Amino acid sequence: MKEKMRLKLAREPFAEKIRKVAQLIRLAKNFPRRQRELRISRSAR
Amino acid sequence: MAVQESADNLPLAEIFRAANDLVAAGLVRDWALGGALAAIYYVEPFSTYDADIFFIPIDESLAAGIPAIYGRLQARGWQVEGEHLLVRGFPVQFLAAIGVTEEAVREAERIDYEGVSAKIFRAEHVIAIAASVGRTKDKARIEQLFQQADLDKEYLQNILHRHKLKLPIL
Repeated sequence: MKEKMRLKLAREPFAEKIRKVAQLIRLAKNFPRRQRELRISRSAR
Repeated sequence: MAVQESADNLPLAEIFRAANDLVAAGLVRDWALGGALAAIYYVEPFSTYDADIFFIPIDESLAAGIPAIYGRLQARGWQVEGEHLLVRGFPVQFLAAIGVTEEAVREAERIDYEGVSAKIFRAEHVIAIAASVGRTKDKARIEQLFQQADLDKEYLQNILHRHKLKLPIL
């Protein structure tokens, strides 16, 4: 099932895949910050 | 008229327009998108750090016309940061094509992206170039292309043979 989903993603139009890449880049940039913020808020308790 | 890209998307149409402008200005002979974004044309999307534009230089010197190329792109508002150019904060690398990458530019697939004409490496060339580089992420890219892309195996074997390349053990 997972392989089927991955193939479906691979067959999407290039422009759609590029939009998803942009989302992934944003997530990768924001995720470490969120982790840091989480650690800071926990240590403040 | 070209479609305006939204600010939260990758500025790929702007990158392609700029590369076409370099050809029109006589600063490069030809160009094509390579690297991770070329692989993504054939496989599921994944995160990547930059866009790699491979170009065939007009200038045969070691500098490959890079100063003039950078000057032209800076005039479009692009910024230089280390070995990258930044367009709307997204890093782009312009790499002079030689050997297998030059062949990849010449034989690249023509596409239309959001109304802009562009060229993109064929999947078989993406594999051959990854095989020549051989990092862990290149091996993963080769495996993914074998799983998800429609490959012309004969064409791939021909490229590998002509450039004396071997596929890694996956």
